[in-house]
Amino acid sequence: MHIPDGFLDTVTIVVTYAIFIMYLAYSLLKTKGISADKISLATVLAAGIFAAQMLNWPLPGGTSLHFVGGALAGILLGPWLGFLTMFLVLFIQCIIFHDGGITALGANVFNMGIIGVLVGYYIFIMTNKLVREARKARILGAFLGGWISVVIAGIACGLEIGFSPACPYGVCVTVPVMGSWHAVLGVIEGIITALVVDYIALKAPYIMQDVGVVRK
Amino acid sequence: MISAKSLIVIIVLILISPVFGIILADMVGYHEPLDVAAELLGLKDISEEINWTPFFDYTVPGLPDVVGYIISGFIGVGIILGIGYVTYKVVGGMKRKEA
Repeated sequence: MHIPDGFLDTVTIVVTYAIFIMYLAYSLLKTKGISADKISLATVLAAGIFAAQMLNWPLPGGTSLHFVGGALAGILLGPWLGFLTMFLVLFIQCIIFHDGGITALGANVFNMGIIGVLVGYYIFIMTNKLVREARKARILGAFLGGWISVVIAGIACGLEIGFSPACPYGVCVTVPVMGSWHAVLGVIEGIITALVVDYIALKAPYIMQDVGVVRK
Repeated sequence: MISAKSLIVIIVLILISPVFGIILADMVGYHEPLDVAAELLGLKDISEEINWTPFFDYTVPGLPDVVGYIISGFIGVGIILGIGYVTYKVVGGMKRKEA
């Protein structure tokens, strides 16, 4: 889902960069005074997501996917620190490995760092409010959060590359392609997110205390 | 800052990553939905033309792709842990001063 250089028009580049910079500044404000332990956890999660994203799974039938991790970061760290974690991963991927274009950094951070984290986080919270049984709520919430966050991020990505003066009807092509493929591929993101969240909730429940949904 | 268990998981992920990222990708053909959409629109990836890094696309100059991929993984994780460690120390120092 990393948009490379050359896919976005100037307006999209400027708008997505503006959103990302403002969101980054606000996230830094919101995480001011955070504990050193939380920074430690965010760092380990960032390293884990970076490594997990290197595992591209080629699927017979002509497409491939890799784990994104936005929902996982949001669920484990909350929306602001979760965003900063994803930003660190995407920034290193872009600057050191040119995975994702420098002109598309704003869009990539918007899709995977903002949308991915927020959608995953809020779906997880809502599911935990609606489903009574704690473990069922946790697994279902993390699965839906991971799955739907990737679908919405994919659709956003389709809108960004489809909106171009050179190709005015591009969104009619890109949004269905990105949305439908990610609806299928996102199931795997959901399963991984659910497995990791459930494992952490069982083995280290203190990690999820700040999210406010840890129940016995 | 990082537990031995977490570190082992990350190292294992990096060591097996070329199997998925290179070997299977070459066999099946790596093609994300984004590539499908871009092909339909005729968009052109200009990353190689404006590249600035020697580690482009997780390669290391002079090394086979598989080895380069693994080394790139360690470079990326090392930089992330380094940034996290400095932030951890700075924040920890500020907290101690406040106390």
